[in-house]
Order: sequence, then C-alpha cells, then structure tokens
Amino acid sequence: MTGTGTTLAITGWGVVSPIGLGADEFAAGLATGRDGRTDVSEMFDEPIPRPDAYAIKDFNVKEHLGRKGTSFLDRSTALAMVAAGQALADAGLEVDETNSERIGVALGTTAGSVRSTSDYSKATFVEDRPYLVNPLIFPNAVMNCAAGQSAIRYHLKGVNATLAGGPVALFTALRYARRLIELDQADALLVGATEEFGPQVAWANEFAQRAHGGDLPAGEAAAVFVVSDAATVRGNGVRPDAEVLACEVATHIPADENDPDLDFSETLAASLRRALDRAGVRADEVFAVASAENGMPDVDGYEDRAIVSVLGEAPKRIRVKRQTGEALSASAALQLGALLAQHRGHPERDGAVSVLTGHTPDGVVGVAVLRGWSGRAR
Amino acid sequence: MSRRVVITGVGPVSSIGIGAEAFGEGLRAGRSGVSPISSFDPTGFPHIMAGEVREFDPKSMLSRISPRNWGRTSQFAAAAARLAVRDAGIDPTELARSAAGSCMGTTGGESQVLEALTGDSLTVGFAGVDHELMGHVPASRLAAAVNRELGLTGEALTVSTACSASNYAVGHAYDEIRTGEADYMLAGGADSVGRWSHAGFYRLGAVAKEQCRPFDKDRSGIITGEGGAVVFLESLDSALARGARIYAEVLGYGINCDASHMTAPNKDSIVACIKLAHRNAGIKPSDVDYICAHGTGTPANDLAEATAVSEAFDGTPPPISSVKSMLGHTMGAACGFSIIASVMGIHDSFLPPTINFAELDPKMPPIDPVPNETRYQPVNIAQVNGFAFGGNNAITIFGRYA
Repeated sequence: MTGTGTTLAITGWGVVSPIGLGADEFAAGLATGRDGRTDVSEMFDEPIPRPDAYAIKDFNVKEHLGRKGTSFLDRSTALAMVAAGQALADAGLEVDETNSERIGVALGTTAGSVRSTSDYSKATFVEDRPYLVNPLIFPNAVMNCAAGQSAIRYHLKGVNATLAGGPVALFTALRYARRLIELDQADALLVGATEEFGPQVAWANEFAQRAHGGDLPAGEAAAVFVVSDAATVRGNGVRPDAEVLACEVATHIPADENDPDLDFSETLAASLRRALDRAGVRADEVFAVASAENGMPDVDGYEDRAIVSVLGEAPKRIRVKRQTGEALSASAALQLGALLAQHRGHPERDGAVSVLTGHTPDGVVGVAVLRGWSGRAR
Repeated sequence: MSRRVVITGVGPVSSIGIGAEAFGEGLRAGRSGVSPISSFDPTGFPHIMAGEVREFDPKSMLSRISPRNWGRTSQFAAAAARLAVRDAGIDPTELARSAAGSCMGTTGGESQVLEALTGDSLTVGFAGVDHELMGHVPASRLAAAVNRELGLTGEALTVSTACSASNYAVGHAYDEIRTGEADYMLAGGADSVGRWSHAGFYRLGAVAKEQCRPFDKDRSGIITGEGGAVVFLESLDSALARGARIYAEVLGYGINCDASHMTAPNKDSIVACIKLAHRNAGIKPSDVDYICAHGTGTPANDLAEATAVSEAFDGTPPPISSVKSMLGHTMGAACGFSIIASVMGIHDSFLPPTINFAELDPKMPPIDPVPNETRYQPVNIAQVNGFAFGGNNAITIFGRYA
C-alpha cells in the first residue's frame, strides 16, 4: 500500500476569479485572453502600493449566498464559500444525511484572511482598551475560517482541513485528500484554495516583486474541486474532468542557509521526473503545463529551467498569473482550473496529459500530473 | 501492507520545561508555566497572564537555520523538531538522506509577525515597514523551517486547523509512514502568544484571570500559551532495527467536523469523533486507560467534553486530565503537548494531573480529572482529544508497545 494506490478524479469545480465566475466563464475568460487587472484605488481607505490589482472588485457575497449568515464573513471565506457551492453544483454532488459525514474539505491558504488578522491586531493598538475587538469576527482572524464556514453552509461533516502551504497548498491539499480517500476516511472532498486582496497582501506582494525585479500586482481568487476515487467514479459510469495521476511535494535544501538566492530548479525537476514516473506517463505525452511564473526573472527562470529540462519545449505553456495576478495558494488553484479548462467542452482532447507546477519562497515545490477529460454531460 | 508506526522521540519546547527530561519533570511535579505577559505590553488588558516560554533561546537550539530569518513560531517548530530528532537518537545525516518530511499544526502561524508589522504601520504605514519581515508572515514557513533545519527533502505541510491542528498533523504523519510514502516524519505544532488572540478570547469571555482550572466548578477560561511540540515517527520495523526506545505506538485517529457553529463546541459531534477514532484504532472504549483532555478550562468546552466522554464511554470514562492547567492553551501546539504527555505517560506509567483543581462542576457527569497530583499507574492505551474553531475535531489514540 503506497501512495500510488489511489487515483483521484475531479468531477466538478468552481472558481471565483478576476477573469470570470464559475468554470465556464473562467474557461472563456482564459481562452479569450481576458485581463483581470482593474483599478482598485477606491477599494480601501488605507494606502496601497499601486492603483491596480487583479481584484474581483464587484464581488458581493450576498448576491451569491443571500443575506443570512453572510454579514460578517471575511473576503477569503466568502470567495471560498461561493467557489465551493459552484463546485458541488458542477459535480452534481448532493449532500444529505446519508453522505455528509463522508464528505470533507481540504482548503489551501497562505495565512488566512490577512486583513482580518491584521485589523484585529490594529484594534488592540488603537481602541480605547486593547480588548475592544469585535468578538463576532474573531473566527475570521483564524486561518480555518473558510473551511469551517464552508462546512456549515454545505453540511460537510467529514474531515475538515485547512492547509497553509501558500503557493504549494493546493498540491498538499490534493495529496492530503488522496490519502484520506485511499485510507477510506472520506468518499469525497472539496479541495481548493482561497486568497483575498487587501492592503496588507498588496504590500507584501509589492515588496516580494521589487526584491526579485518583478512588476506583477497582487490578485485574489478561490477555486474548489470535488475529488473522489477515480475507480469508483468510472465504475458509476461517470466521465471525470480529470484524473490526478500523481502529486509530489518536496523541499529544496540550500547548501547555505543564509544565501537568499534559492535556486530550486533541480529539486523541482526531480519532483517532476518522479511525478511522471509515478503517473506512468512519458515526458513526450505531456500536452500542457500550467506553471506559477509571476514575472520575477530569477525565480521564473528556475521554474522554467526545471520544466524545460524534463519536458522540453513542446508542451503548451499556460501562465495564468499574466491574466489573474499573484494570488499565492489560489493561483495554484487557478492553474489547475486552467488545465481543466483545456478539456471543458473539448472531447477531442480526452485523455491528454498535463502538468501543474508550483513553489514557495522557502523552497517547497509541488508538481501534479493530470489526465484530462471533457467531464460529465452538463 | 500497512506498517505499524511508533513514536521514538519527543521535542517539547514548553513553559514548564524544554526537552523531554525537563518537560517530564514539569508534568510529574504539576508545575505551572503561567506568568505575567512579557512578550507584548499587556497594559489595558484586565487579564495579563500567559503561558510564555520565557527560557526559549532559539540560537542555542537551532543548528542549521538562523533565527533572524524566521519568525518566533517557526523557531519553536524547528527547535522542537531538532529536540525530537536528538531524543530519538537517529543519525541526522541518515535522516536527511531518507524519505522524510514534516507536518506542523498551528492556529495563528506567524500572526505575531503580522501583528508587529501592523503596529509599525500605525506610524510609518505599510509602505514603511520592514520588507523582509513581511516575508515571514506565511504560515507555511513552520513546516519549511523544520525541513530546512533538519535537511529534510520530503513534504513540508503546515496544517492550520487551529487548536486541534497537531492532532491532524500527527494523524497525517502516521498515514504517510504506514502507507510507505515516508520513512520518518516530524509532526506536531507551534504557536506564539499575541495581542490579537489574547483580545479575541478575552472578548469571548474565555480568558481566566489567574489560573486555568479545567473541569472545576469555578473554572473561568483559558490562559493563552505558546510553544513548540513535535514528535518523531517511524515504522516499528525501523525502530526495532536501530534499537530505538519506543514511547508508544500510534494506533489511529479520527477527524470530523461539527458543521454547525464556528466557536461553540458540539457534544454530539465529539461523541461521533471519539467513536470514529476508536473504530479506526481498532479498540473498544473499555480499552482506554487515560484521556488527555482538550480541557481548555472554559465553561462551555469542559461541559461539552465531559458530557461527550461520559456518553461515549457508557458512563464510565477512564481518568481524564488536562495539561492545559499547567501550560495554558498553546493553541496549535496544544495537541502536540498532550501527545507528548500521553506517550511519556505510557512509557513511564503515569497520568499527568489537572492542577488548580478544587471541586468538580456538579453540572458535569462524574469524571476523574486526576486532581493536582500525578498518578503512577500503567497506561496501555491513551486517547488525546483536540477540538477547535470551525468545528475541527481530531482525536488520536496511542498504545503501549509490548
């Protein structure tokens, strides 16, 4: 019983992004090259580093989820809840008393709702008394809010996990979900990631971009995928959107811990080779690669070198951040969505293999290998 | 093939002692790690006690990574992992060459870094804060710090399921080893005290003034705490081959979600989680000798937990104590400390006490909280309860290896 024993199938997905809401709109936005960059200069009272960002400026959770229970939601939670609802509908997965304990959540994040946590700290400094914070929004400042609220909204009583892996969180979430299904701890999980735009993350992104000579604004998004055991899905006569043939996560250990230049390319290349091997596919079978490049010349170079060294120049390259900005864990989820979008409404591509890559600033790398399908009749 | 999994090293960085020996002594002595808050200015807070790790000196504990490159919580995680490796007696070079990774639980991650930056921003704006420190905020850095400190090339996973997170982490590490995906795992959790969480729990009416008094009729809440708690896991075959000391075997775990309320505990869901954990571990309720409680000391948690335990154990639960009475609520590290206390209890035949205990809450069903004094008795099977915001219940089960 090793990690290759179970293959996950994706049977539906939802996405809330600056280039479209829902899988169909996102796929269309991607295909038409829609640019999600927008003017955010009026969005917040606090100063922000630049007037533009890949924000979903007109997103209003009440339009999607109604008024009840939505007044105090933080933005990253609201984005995730909407994407989760879309994913359940897209998969045709109905949650009821017979299955709710077997359906879980594995949601990626970088640091939760950074705005909520920072504002909570701010209140302790600026209010008349340091404890005069709003108790109703305390859970928003804790990282598992989006997963917990999604469970409440959709009655998901199975394993409920929040995985703070940043840009690699989606990969760890896929691995985590696969393990739970393999070990019969769940029948299905909502796997995804969510990140909100706000002043704090805008500045954090700006500092990181400047340090590496990049110029890409911050973004925000959530994407959620319904996963279950591929053999079971097939056995039920359902054609999935994709099968996750392999998913690897590894850590690059630099020779010198104080060297800020973290060239992870060999570790990423090794993970990619291992993933292909475990997936049982050859490099020349790979039709598309959705990578995490974000306009930082040095870091993009490491990622590109790893991809080209293993897969060559032939695969179609998909760089979603060019249209959706830097949204960390959610960007990886959009990358996965972009690969699924190649197959949505394209049965002629059934069975094609694609690759997803990601990496954190701390040297953790992720690779997934998928086989895409045109999905169930919708 | 499913491999048996054992814990052969523990790394506690706690307010009652750093390292297995000091922590074990602290537990058995029923020491309190609670002191007036020093890591932030508590002026204006009516309740100013916390379980801070005052003795923590990351520089002396970390061999490979530099403390200046990492936030306090990542330092806790990496230092605790380093201790666990040393306690396990495994050759660090061999470990770094192996299929090995880490899984760290947390509630706040590096939120105290974000808090410091937020404080700075009030005078200089976010534009003027330390750019590098901004890069220390992501919670993913906890597990990354462990891997970088130990040279581990496998998975680095930070689970941020709040106050049950290190039960999730140890459960996941157990799965990785039993399926053969990894040969060695460092798992546990870390958190740091901060203003925002102290304020939040206070406003929920959940912070005690002086003492944490789990299950007592006069309990009034948690004491916020911090630290790092990591265990070293490997297959039984591996432990036997290298002649390692085995604290305990991991028998299984159960995780479920209330899906009902973000902060209020749900008794029925806890009962379901206990049954799930027992089923997965292949045990009956009557097999359990000791429960290391979630036991936060809040009126709501302890009532729900005691009631749930009583129900799940048909009215006759085994002794159930809370190490939070000594450590305070160390959040994402809490289950990690409970696991360390439980596996040490299994190995050395003792039950850690619930200190500050005077009288059982008459609203609760009868339970034995191991009041105030360590009890020396054999422990064959221990259960570690962990509950959290978001309805994130996680329970782990450990057994004596014989």
